[in-house]
Amino acid sequence: MARVVHYINQFFAGVGGEDSAGQGPTLMDGPVGPGKKLAELLGDEHEIVSTVWCGDDKAPDAADEIVELIQGAEPDLVVAGPAFTSGRYGLACARVAAAAAEAGLAALASMHEDNPGLDEAGAAPVVASGEVARRMGPSLERLGAAAAKLLAGEELTADDGRIGKVARRSVMADAPAAQRAVDLVLTRLAGDRDATEIPLPRFDSVTPAAPVDDVSQATVALVTEGGLVPDDNPGNLESARATRWLRYPLEGDTLASGSYRSVHGGFSSVHANDDPHRIVPLDVARELEAEGAIGQLVGEYFVTTGNGTSVANARRFGIEWATDMRKSEARAAILTAT
Amino acid sequence: MLTRLVHRVQEVALGRRTSYEAGVLTVSSDAAAALFDDPALGGVTLTWASPGQSMRIVKVLDAVEPRTKGPGGGGIFPGLLGPPAPQGHGETHVLRGAAVVAAGFLPRAQEAVVDMSGPAAELSPLGATSNLVVEFTPADDAPWEAVEVALRKGVLALAVHLADAAAGADADEVEELPDPSTQPGDLPRVGAVINLQTQGAFKDVFVYGRSFSGGLPTLLDPGEIDDGAIVSGQYGHPALKNPTFVHQNNPVVNELRRRSGQDLQFAGLVISPEPVNMADKQLISTFAARVCAAAGFDAAVVTKEGGGNADADMALKMDALEDMGVAAVGLFGELAGADGTGPSLVVPPERATAMVSTGNYDSRLVLPAVEQALGGEDMRLLGVPATDELDLPAAVVYCSLSPLGWGRYTATANAS
Repeated sequence: MARVVHYINQFFAGVGGEDSAGQGPTLMDGPVGPGKKLAELLGDEHEIVSTVWCGDDKAPDAADEIVELIQGAEPDLVVAGPAFTSGRYGLACARVAAAAAEAGLAALASMHEDNPGLDEAGAAPVVASGEVARRMGPSLERLGAAAAKLLAGEELTADDGRIGKVARRSVMADAPAAQRAVDLVLTRLAGDRDATEIPLPRFDSVTPAAPVDDVSQATVALVTEGGLVPDDNPGNLESARATRWLRYPLEGDTLASGSYRSVHGGFSSVHANDDPHRIVPLDVARELEAEGAIGQLVGEYFVTTGNGTSVANARRFGIEWATDMRKSEARAAILTAT
Repeated sequence: MLTRLVHRVQEVALGRRTSYEAGVLTVSSDAAAALFDDPALGGVTLTWASPGQSMRIVKVLDAVEPRTKGPGGGGIFPGLLGPPAPQGHGETHVLRGAAVVAAGFLPRAQEAVVDMSGPAAELSPLGATSNLVVEFTPADDAPWEAVEVALRKGVLALAVHLADAAAGADADEVEELPDPSTQPGDLPRVGAVINLQTQGAFKDVFVYGRSFSGGLPTLLDPGEIDDGAIVSGQYGHPALKNPTFVHQNNPVVNELRRRSGQDLQFAGLVISPEPVNMADKQLISTFAARVCAAAGFDAAVVTKEGGGNADADMALKMDALEDMGVAAVGLFGELAGADGTGPSLVVPPERATAMVSTGNYDSRLVLPAVEQALGGEDMRLLGVPATDELDLPAAVVYCSLSPLGWGRYTATANAS
């Protein structure tokens, strides 16, 4: 009999709503909440031996802790969700599944394809759920079927409701790449225009925001991926593959040479360190502010390092910057790139 | 037409005199070291590393297959050792199963690893050859650029020195290489477009001894690369590099030769630089496509050297070829992240979407500890002794994602 551990949030565990969202992970015996129906769907061959729940505010950053609890129950499969379109819960389900997969466990998450957590599931598969909890029944049916298929050692495909990114793994092919390339040439010449070993990546297309009505009245923020930080790098910003962004105050009219440096590892930073305004143009921005060309500058700048940064982290930085600015007076931002 | 006279190396040794007899290649260290007598070099040490040994080579730079045109043959590696006159015809002696490999620190070089046993051995062409490893000490105060030139020329001269020892022996195999066909026929005419990385000192590739940076795409006789017309001085991107050894044995060219007259006609070879700025990339891509169309290609296999930047050269060139009616297929290493879910390509083609995968750059590998390491004391990248167990991405293993299509490594969404 296969052992399954189910991950859910505090709400579906029946602990409480927002008032309990700050609670840390807890292990319970057997199926809980939606897990009861899931256990029925899995039948006699598989057993939900434990349920782990965690508060929504806590969970997205507690994936490793949650997986430690899960590992104690020695599962053959970890199932997370369904999270529907709930953002924090979806992020938690995805990160728990990703961390479980990274720890060598089979894992599966369920959420709606609009859930912002979808891209965070790492190497773990995700199957589609309905949009809202009212669709719990059919969502669990799909999750149960996918879980059974994974436990049987099979791969999930779009027919199983699989959504999101599919992990690509390195293996040895039957023939050298040069031979396969010549084979592919002949296939293409024979009229097959779709044949390829690498599907085209899907990049986001970003719709530019409407122009600012009157820049002379707008509060403007300075934002950069150029890695410019105070000289002692107090926030330990990475030189590549950044996982964080930081904010530092903009005081006075200039950035003193020698007080700042760029930790960016993707270009020669000699000129940036010589004159930090090449990365954060505070000097010119202050002049524009004095002339009245812009309303005023935000009193701090946001910074990260754009060098081999994962798309998932870059997207998160963008969401966090936009959220932050919406709460402030800022209505425009200048993003200096390197 | 070029004829390769292949001498198989079964056994290697160091000895008093350099000789090749009944498959045994013996090298005189003194004679070899004399080839590195240059004001920029303090000295060299030579060691054999052969398949199956518990040995690792770190900081691997260029690798060269021993070849010679023989006495009076007009010189191999034209423009560097021989006169810069077109080669690619007559006879060429090849010591198959051996390589001369430079290893050590150079600026801008990224640390590359070759294991002679264990799971990484099959990922590198040097895992299957007996490698005469050249470790070097720069002369005091020598500029690094001069060290690189001395080392590169010394390695080529040593490769010729080894092959010369076999030039009097009977060949184990005689390979007659057909010239590309200039005649239209019933079979599709398929050529190769080889991009060469041209990004300045320590990241440059030489054609007839000249940096190909600033050059325009041109046709070469494929026999010319057998005779060393392309020599690598590109030490970045360990997994995605094309050392001289793989240019000499260009897998795409060899495959097109093998099948010429069967299911295709080998139409020719075009080489192209990989410039660093976008306007030049666009110009070069259009030029390359025009040369292929003028040479009557129906289709082309396009290859690159290097990481994401080189993807742009691939995408632009493949699309330009298709726009001129030449079907294009490209070989790409994927940059899909350690978990394999990131975008595989930095710049994908828009219309010419047929691609072959040479593996995921970021796939993790564990290389077991070895008894002996050459090329350096440590893996600076990981901060551990060079003989330790290494946990690293495929990106660090020499030629593991060979953009010239040497290997069988690939990435797929269908494997578990």
